[in-house]
Amino acid sequence: MDSFFYLVMFAGAVAGASTGLLGVYIVGMRMPFIGICISHSAMAGTIYSILLGVNPVLGPVVFSAVSSMSLGMVRPGRSRLDANVALAIFFNLMLGLTFLGIGLMRGSRSEVLGLLWGSLLFVRKSSVVTITISGLVFVVFAVLFNKELKVLLFSRTIASATGVHESFVYCLFLALCGLILAVNLPLVGGLMIFSLITCPAAAAYQICTGHRAVIFAATIFGMASAVVGFLVSYYLDLPTGACIVIVSTVGFAVSASYRVLIKKTS
Amino acid sequence: MEECLSLSDVEVRWSGRTILAVEDMQIRQGEFVGIIGTNGAGKTTLLKVCCGLIRPTRGTVNLDGRDLAELSAWRKAKLRKRIGYIPQAAEYNAELPFTLRELVAMGRTSVRALLRRLNKEDYEIVDNWIEKLGLSERRSQTFRSLSGGEQQKALIARAMAQDPEILMLDEPCSNLDFNWKYQITEIIEQLHRETRVTVVMVSHETSLLPSVCKRVVLLHEGNILADGDIEKVLESEELERAYQCRIEMLKLAGRRYTVNKSRA
Repeated sequence: MDSFFYLVMFAGAVAGASTGLLGVYIVGMRMPFIGICISHSAMAGTIYSILLGVNPVLGPVVFSAVSSMSLGMVRPGRSRLDANVALAIFFNLMLGLTFLGIGLMRGSRSEVLGLLWGSLLFVRKSSVVTITISGLVFVVFAVLFNKELKVLLFSRTIASATGVHESFVYCLFLALCGLILAVNLPLVGGLMIFSLITCPAAAAYQICTGHRAVIFAATIFGMASAVVGFLVSYYLDLPTGACIVIVSTVGFAVSASYRVLIKKTS
Repeated sequence: MEECLSLSDVEVRWSGRTILAVEDMQIRQGEFVGIIGTNGAGKTTLLKVCCGLIRPTRGTVNLDGRDLAELSAWRKAKLRKRIGYIPQAAEYNAELPFTLRELVAMGRTSVRALLRRLNKEDYEIVDNWIEKLGLSERRSQTFRSLSGGEQQKALIARAMAQDPEILMLDEPCSNLDFNWKYQITEIIEQLHRETRVTVVMVSHETSLLPSVCKRVVLLHEGNILADGDIEKVLESEELERAYQCRIEMLKLAGRRYTVNKSRA
């Protein structure tokens, strides 16, 4: 095994860990659609960067930043529209823009279609550095705003009513969410990133007691899903993205069964 | 008594319909105010307007003499540190595996500045409220594993750990059995007596308003039909008009029960 193999493993582990940690907040706020909305905005951003011939990093960052800010305006209790319905409408728009962009492209579309499932095997050292830095930035954010994030997870209404700086922390969270998803998109893919956000966090919520335990478990589950999925695909010669999705889903199924068993025996 | 919250010429409109219209309402420090009314009368909306969760279409809401609409989000948050708020169950996620101690500690979040961690003193206050509400044995258990009554006690402990000046409760006894209903209202009554915290409590059942509650606001179709002495309001024609039936008030063990006389 050469150094490239380890680079891919490392990239997968970092992407899995950061999306796993991000998932704790996205799943906890019962808004998994946020992840898929922003990742599809980033995907649309990448496509339009290619179409317009601008820097391919600029497009996804701008698109995901704009969508994060728009999603920040969807506030509980302020609108009759359910937040998840608003997100679904937004997701449809982004999906429409993505496929419109694909339709407008001339020549080979393989690079663009690769964004759907990502391509860990085409990882570069520079992208590993970018995802590691963005992951660390998110860890620092989660540590610094830990007490506020906990209240936001439990209830944004309580947070807002009782003087927690809810809007500020939530908008910062959405902006970082956009950043993490934009930088991980080429590696993990628009479709796969959704499963790496939801499954590890949902698995951790099933079996953990206490917020700290959830954070550690989701980060480790995310990392393990990416690494084990990659190893399975490497040794069995199967598509990497699909293997990672299946492994993370199996992880969730195991923890959900464990919870049911524990409940039955206690 | 000093005024701590006032509403003046407030109107909340949604989809062209007036949800709430309050000409004038003041809440003074140390008061216990009950808000009653039929379904859809605007009780929760009024409570949310009071704590700035809903911005009125027109009018002013003053908290400690400051107009909430005039303040920046940052200053509004600073002012709202004084509000302890317990919403209805649909507004919080009871399924998360927070331990009871973690949940009560959330009450200290707004007391400490951004980027500051909770310290030993905060956790002493948290443990003190857990003990006071008789939840010491449950402190390491998850919130989701507690019974409905215990969850409500935990939410009260969370609100009190914040050391609030006003406690706003939105139907704190809904979905509880009758024994828990009385336990919870007795706790609220005791807290009011001991700490003199101002309480604004929305309740469907008049019997759940404790004996310390001397003032009640009756809402009907978004308007205040009556506001004043609880016993006068519960015996008023306005109450019969709001509920569209003949009502008799009965007093039993310090509680006021309203009985539908039309069907008796």
